Amino acid sequence: MEPIRYVDILSEHYRSQGNPPYRWSIHDDAPLHRLDKPLRECTVSLLTSGGVSQCSMPAFDPNARNDHRLDPIPADASARDFQVHDNYYDHTDAESDINCIFPLERLRELADRGEIGHVAPRLWSGFMGRIYNRSKVMEESGPAFAKALQADNVDILLAAPS
Amino acid sequence: MGLVCRLLEERGIATTYVATGRDLTALVKPPRALFVNHPMGNNFGPANDPETQREIVRRALGLVETVEVGGTIVDMPTNWTKPFAFGPGTG
Repeated sequence: MEPIRYVDILSEHYRSQGNPPYRWSIHDDAPLHRLDKPLRECTVSLLTSGGVSQCSMPAFDPNARNDHRLDPIPADASARDFQVHDNYYDHTDAESDINCIFPLERLRELADRGEIGHVAPRLWSGFMGRIYNRSKVMEESGPAFAKALQADNVDILLAAPS
Repeated sequence: MGLVCRLLEERGIATTYVATGRDLTALVKPPRALFVNHPMGNNFGPANDPETQREIVRRALGLVETVEVGGTIVDMPTNWTKPFAFGPGTG
């Protein structure tokens, strides 16, 4: 199957709501930080933007706009202790198996097998929904997230947008 | 989230991004991406399929050792056969 043309679909959706043309973030190149140690020695964390929260926490706003909430999730959380609230995609499968979008059990297995060094003490869920105020991401919520990852000595972040 | 990955990379944290939207990923250009042609919300595969999920996690993490140019998108082979579509939601 050909990849879905999300840019066309979303541009038309925004236009049909009477909005001015959507300004996509477009870059010609990207930064790259090379690690000086092998994967088997790295500490790995995980980020989902799929409206995932632990059952003891409030649900995410399923129609979120400009929501910079970012939940830390303990690395040893039970895979059955999650709820998903997000009206921007179909999360039927994720509700029956959270590893579809937030593969914390798979990450723990790779650590047990010695393929990665450690699972970081905190995994993350946030930046969900539509975020239009990108300068706040670049100046506030993004740098705060970087500091949290550095505090946990994270080498690699596995990021899964949805 | 691609912007967040770019920012983290500049601060010395390597990121790897498991995307279901190839065109969206090509615009924002996270530092490394694995494109998986699955429905959004099945980035790591079907429910209760730990082998597929593990292989996607493994491939994505492997990019940290192999990618040499920022903005690289690698296509994950997939055996997802069921057709799928996307509705843009209400927001």
